[in-house]
Amino acid sequence: MMLLKVLLISIYSGICGLDSDNGNLQIYRPLATGAIIGLILGDVQKGLIVGGTLELVFLGVMAIGGAQPPNSVIGGILGTSFAILTNVDAKVAIGIAVPFSIAVQAISNLIYTANAGFIHKADKYAEKGDTKGIELMNLAGMIPMFTFFFLIAFLPLYFGASTAKAVIDSIPAVILDGLQVAGGMMPAVGFAILLKIMLKKDLVYFMFLGFVLVTYFKLSIIGVAIIAVIIAAYTYYNGRSDDDGDKGVISNDGI
Amino acid sequence: MMEIRGLFQMTESNNEKGLLTKKDLNNMAWRSFFLQSSFSFERMQAGGWEYILMPALRKIYKNNPEKLKSALKDHLEFFNINPFVVTPVAGVIAAMEEKGEDREAIRGVKYALMGPFAGIGDALIWLTIFPICQGLGASLAIQGNIAGPILSLVLFNVLHFVLQFGGIGYGYRKGLSALSKLRTGTKQLSKLASIVGLTVLGALIASYVSMSTPLVINAGKVSIKLQEDVLDKIMPNMIPLAFTFLVYWLLKKGLKPSYIFGIIIVFGIVTKYFGIF
Repeated sequence: MMLLKVLLISIYSGICGLDSDNGNLQIYRPLATGAIIGLILGDVQKGLIVGGTLELVFLGVMAIGGAQPPNSVIGGILGTSFAILTNVDAKVAIGIAVPFSIAVQAISNLIYTANAGFIHKADKYAEKGDTKGIELMNLAGMIPMFTFFFLIAFLPLYFGASTAKAVIDSIPAVILDGLQVAGGMMPAVGFAILLKIMLKKDLVYFMFLGFVLVTYFKLSIIGVAIIAVIIAAYTYYNGRSDDDGDKGVISNDGI
Repeated sequence: MMEIRGLFQMTESNNEKGLLTKKDLNNMAWRSFFLQSSFSFERMQAGGWEYILMPALRKIYKNNPEKLKSALKDHLEFFNINPFVVTPVAGVIAAMEEKGEDREAIRGVKYALMGPFAGIGDALIWLTIFPICQGLGASLAIQGNIAGPILSLVLFNVLHFVLQFGGIGYGYRKGLSALSKLRTGTKQLSKLASIVGLTVLGALIASYVSMSTPLVINAGKVSIKLQEDVLDKIMPNMIPLAFTFLVYWLLKKGLKPSYIFGIIIVFGIVTKYFGIF
């Protein structure tokens, strides 16, 4: 029974590994994996909570310009799985997820290096004008990725699922409590990465606006997002005449 | 930019009745989901890029195997772009191949577009639309609401598919003129998206970085709870905001996220042990 669940999770992990490079449908993000793994392990509620929490930690952590950040896929999958299996708090799950995500980042760098073999083979097909061969080489690149993500979920779950509870129980409370505190701080990393890339001096006060709307007015994220869209719309209709002086757009204004 | 302008003259005419049918273009759009299948550090998306172009190359060079070979070789050179904006570029390049443009010109345009488009895609998708969708979804999921992941997947992918399937035909039919228009449009759009993105980000910081101190200051007979009696009176969520900016500063100093994760785990355990957090 457990083996079947572990296999299901591992296959799903392989698919997620592919989606994070191909497809990009975002089913590999912790937000989605939390729900799916919760479904497989029979605790959707907990899966959602852990997935949502991990999503925020990995929010700013995505591959930009070919650089490989700590891996959000395996962080979400193993973090959620172990959180449900050992019944720890979502914030402690972050402590479990992070080491795996860093290890996987290192190994996937090796795969991306070795993958050059496929493109070298494609070069040979190009010289012969073999278009089918080139297509095959591109698609074949998915095999190592799927296998790797299958194994990286399968091995820890297969060998660790039964002992994980005992391991967690043997960890002193002071460490677990500390992990919980660290888990509460962790989303700051994802947000700070986004800030580092997004923050422009002339727009910084919008960040404080969002902060204040939640801190003092207790609005939900959706409520804040709606206000933000209204402000953006206002900016668009007011700023249009100065910024965008071409194509006769202005003549439609003021009607 | 000079280079693009020069080449722009050559491909100015619109390509409304091209060789490639709607079916071919849709085929290319589907293939764009496999852009990074053979991703390697050496050539990055080269294999996937050629995979996208293949239906066009096959049709255009059906009776000219030598030209096909040189096109195949060219497009296996280094290529890297944001996956969400690859189709308009692929459309433009397919149109240039079809018109029989010089190989050097095609390569020039390809490389001239790669950088700016990667930048636009990253700014618009990864830094704004993506965090907004995921942030909204996560805020619901944390309350145990299944609508969280569903909402984020639907919101993101509607946009994703519109970009992939709309982009290819747009690039193919309009040629390079389309892309220069797109560039001015996205500049405005990216500012608006930044406004929404930053506002939501501020809300996320206040909602989900959870830190509070149990410290109590004993001044004679009165004991003052630092969090409730002092900090919350000034500004609640002050510590989370300050902490986020501390991490921001560390990142600016060049510290890698992996290290920061490690530091926070140790920091959390130590500060908990000493009763600071």
